[in-house]
Amino acid sequence: MLFPSESALRADPQAVAGSSDYDIVIVGSGISGAIIAKQAAEAGKRVLVLEAGTGVNRSLVGYDDLLTTFYSAATKDNQSPFPVNANAAMPRSPQLRKLQAGETDSSTYIVQSGPYVSDTTYTRIFGGTTMHWEAKTPRMLRSDFKSRTNFGQGLDWPLSFEEIEEDYRLAEQEIGVSADVEDQSYLGQTFPDDYVFPMRGLPLSYLDQQVNNGIDGTSVDLYGQIYPLKVRPYPQARNGIPNPAYDGGRGYRPIGAVDTHQVEEGGRCQGNTNCVPLCPVQARYHSGKTLAKAFRIRGKSGQSLVELLPQAVASKVVIDPDSGKVVALEVKVYNDSASPAHETITVKGKVFVLAAGAIETARLMLSSGLRSTSGLVGRNLMDHAYLLNWALMPQICGTMRGTSSTGGIVDLRDGPFREKQAAFAIDIHNDGWGWATGAPTSDLLELVDDRNLYGADLRRGLIDRISRQLLLAVMLEVLPVESNRITVDPQFTDALGNMRPILSFTVPEYTMRGAAYARQFSRTVFARLGAQDHTSYAPSDFGYVAYEGQGYAIRGGNHLAGTHIMGTTKTNSVVDRNQRSWDHENLYLVGGGSMPTIGTANVTLTLAAMCFRSGRDILKYLH
Amino acid sequence: MSNRVEAFLGLSAELTAFSRFDLLGTGLAERYLGTLDTVVGGEITDMLLAAFVALPPPEDGTRAQALRATILGSELLGDVARALIKLWYSGTWFELPYAWTQRFGPKSADATFVVSPDAYIEGLLWKAIGAHPAGAKAPGYGSWAYPPKIPTFPGSPTSKPDAVSVHPQNAGIMS
Ligand SMILES: Cc1cc2nc3c(=O)[nH]c(=O)nc-3n(C[C@H](O)[C@H](O)[C@H](O)COP(=O)(O)OP(=O)(O)OC[C@H]3O[C@@H](n4cnc5c(N)ncnc54)[C@H](O)[C@@H]3O)c2cc1C
Ligand code: SF4
Repeated sequence: MLFPSESALRADPQAVAGSSDYDIVIVGSGISGAIIAKQAAEAGKRVLVLEAGTGVNRSLVGYDDLLTTFYSAATKDNQSPFPVNANAAMPRSPQLRKLQAGETDSSTYIVQSGPYVSDTTYTRIFGGTTMHWEAKTPRMLRSDFKSRTNFGQGLDWPLSFEEIEEDYRLAEQEIGVSADVEDQSYLGQTFPDDYVFPMRGLPLSYLDQQVNNGIDGTSVDLYGQIYPLKVRPYPQARNGIPNPAYDGGRGYRPIGAVDTHQVEEGGRCQGNTNCVPLCPVQARYHSGKTLAKAFRIRGKSGQSLVELLPQAVASKVVIDPDSGKVVALEVKVYNDSASPAHETITVKGKVFVLAAGAIETARLMLSSGLRSTSGLVGRNLMDHAYLLNWALMPQICGTMRGTSSTGGIVDLRDGPFREKQAAFAIDIHNDGWGWATGAPTSDLLELVDDRNLYGADLRRGLIDRISRQLLLAVMLEVLPVESNRITVDPQFTDALGNMRPILSFTVPEYTMRGAAYARQFSRTVFARLGAQDHTSYAPSDFGYVAYEGQGYAIRGGNHLAGTHIMGTTKTNSVVDRNQRSWDHENLYLVGGGSMPTIGTANVTLTLAAMCFRSGRDILKYLH
Repeated sequence: MSNRVEAFLGLSAELTAFSRFDLLGTGLAERYLGTLDTVVGGEITDMLLAAFVALPPPEDGTRAQALRATILGSELLGDVARALIKLWYSGTWFELPYAWTQRFGPKSADATFVVSPDAYIEGLLWKAIGAHPAGAKAPGYGSWAYPPKIPTFPGSPTSKPDAVSVHPQNAGIMS
C-alpha cells in the first residue's frame, strides 16, 4: 500500500480555515507541489496542500477505479481514466474544432481564442498531471540555457546548466529515473565521473532496433553541417532495474507498485503500453509517490506535518496592499464533483506556493487581478509543437508493445541551425499510429467495415497493418513570444464561478520552419527504411497550420511553460531565479510557468529540479 | 452447452479465425451472445445463427462464397455480423450504421459501448498481433526488445519476423 492506512489525509475544511500556523500553503499536488511539500516537512515545517481535484485515487481502490473507468471507456481519449469534474475541469481533446478567422470557441474548458487551436492538456486530480504523463525525462542541454547568446533566439535563463545540475540529480533521484550515462552522453551532455542514474536504462524496443538498423551510420546535412543519425534510448521515469552502483554503491530502492494483483517484480515496468494515460502497476512515477513519503513525516506531537485538503479550488490570492505580501488564499471547497455547491474558506500561512500548473497558476493570478509589475503573468506561453509522421515498415516490427516510447532520434536537438529554425527531438512510438489515426481501433474498423475482411484474411490484414506501424512524433522547440498567452474574462467562468483560461496562440515562424524541415527529415528517414509514408494533414484539422505553401497538423505537447517567466529583474520577469515572485515576497510561483525557454526537453525533470531550488529558498526565507 | 451457444461459437470462430478453444478461453462467449440478444434482439440473432447453420459443410468449396452471400452480404445480417467481429476483436460493441437503423428500425441498446472492463482486456486484436491490451496482461519487463510472438493460425503468413537482434548496448540488460 502506497499510503499510510490511517491516513485520514483529508483535512477538515473548518479546521484548515481556523488554523493560522501553516508555514507553507501549497496550491496543487502535482510534482512541483509534492517536491516542495516533502522538502519542507523534512525540515520540520507545517504544510497544507490544497488540491482542486478529488483525492479518491490516493488509495489503491481509487487508483484501480481509474483503471476500470479507462477500460470501460468506449473512446479512449486523452483523459479517459479521469472522470469529468466541472468544479475542477480539465481540457479534453475530442471536443476541439478548427476556428474561423477571428472566432473564439468557448465550448471547451479552455476558451480557444486562436488562431491556433491547441489540444494541450493537464490533469486536475490528486497527483496532478503526473497521474497521466508519458514520463520521459531528458535534461535540457547546456546550450538551451543560453539560446539568446548562442543563437540570437529566445531568452537566456538567469541560471546556467552548471547551477541547476545538482538539482537535476536530486530530481532524478526523487523521480527514480531509468537511464544509462553512456546513452545520454550525446551533444555535449556530461555527467560527473562517478554518476549513474538510479536505475538502468530500459531496453530499446524491437521497433526501435529495426529503425536503428536502417539509419545507423547515415547522416543528414543541414546548412552545411553533418548530423549523424541513430536511435538513442530515452531516460524514463519508470521502474527499471536498479543500478547497484548508484549513490556510491549503495544502490537505489524503487518505489513499488501498489496494485495488489499485478505486482511481480517490485513494480518494475512490465510493458503494458498504457503509460499514457495511466500505468496499471504504478511502475511509472507519479507525484503520489513523493507525497506518500511526505505524509509519513511527523512533527513533535506525532501528527503528520503535511495535510491535504482535496476538492479545494484556490480562487483568489489576497494581497496586503501595503507590504505586497500575500495574506491569504480564498478557497472554494466542494463536497460532490457533480454539484457546484461549495463553501468559501480563507486559508492563511507564512509562505504561499502556487504549483497549479502553467495555465492554472496564471489563471489564478490573473483572476486575482495580479498581472505583476512586468505585466508578464500569462504571457510567453510555451508548449512543444508536435508534428506526427506515420509510415508502414517493410517488415513486421511488433508495434504495440513496450512503454509508449523507448527510443528516438535526438541528434538534431542542437546545432548552429538554431540561429534559423527550431531544434527537435523525435520519439518513436511503440503504440504505432495511435496518436495520429486512432490505431489500432481505426485499423480494425477499416479492415472489417470497408475492406470486408473476415477470418484468416482479417487476421493477416491486422498483422500486416498494425505490427508494421511506425510513428515518428517530432517534438519541436517553441520560443517565448509575449502575445502567446493565457488571459481571463469574467464572461467565461466554470461551475464554481472561477474564471476559465483563455488561450491565444500562434505557432511561431521559427517553429514552423523547423516543422517544414522535420517533415522532409522524416521522409528521408522513411526512404532509408523503405517505409511507406501514410502521413497526411487535413486542412479541416483543428491544429492545421499553413506555412510556405504547405500545411501541417500541429499537436500540443502538454509541456506548458512560460506564463510566470523567470528573469533577472522585476521588469523583465515575474519570478526570480528561485521562482519567488518579484512583487510579493512570500509568494512562489513554481513549475513550468517559470521556464524562460524549453529547448527540446520534456519539461518535467527541469521543473522538478527548479522546485528543489525553490524549496531551499523557502526554508531560508522562513528562518 | 446449448445448440444456440454452439452455433454462436461456430459462427464466431469462422468470422474471427480464432478457434472455439480461444474464444471460450476469453470467458466472454455467452456474454457476447447476450449482447447480440440485447442489442439487436433474439429474433435477428436467431436468424444470424440459422444462416450460419445452413451454410454448406466446410469441405464444400462454396462455403466461403455462401457465407459472403447469406451473412456478410445480407442486408439485414451483414452489419450485425461485422459488429460481432469487431466486438470479439475489441470488446466494444460499435453502433450499427445509420443506414441499417433507418431500414430496420432503431434498437434502444444500440450505442457504442465497452461490454465490460474484461471485454477490453480480452480483445482478440492484441492476441492476433502478438501484443497485449494497452493497460493489462503485461508481458513482462524487457519483452518489447524481442520480436513479437505472433500466434500462427490456419492460413497465417509463413514468413516470420527476423531473428532476434538485440541492440548491442542493451544486450547486457536483457540477461
Ligand atoms: C499526456 C501527457 C504526457 C506527458 N508526458 C510528459 C513526458 O513524457 N515528460 C515530461 O517531462 N512531461 C510530460 N508531460 C508534462 C508533465 O505531466 C507536466 O509537466 C507535469 O506533470 C507538471 O507538474 P506540475 O506539478 O507543475 O503541474 P500539475 O501536475 O498540472 O499539477 C497541478 C496541480 O494543481 C491542481 N490545481 C490546479 N488548479 C488549482 C486550484 N485553483 N486550486 C487547487 N489546486 C489546483 C491540479 O489539480 C493539479 O493537481 C506530459 C503531460 C501530459 C498531459
Ligand atoms: S509500459 Fe506499462 S508498466 Fe511500464 S510504465 Fe507504461 S504502463 Fe506502466
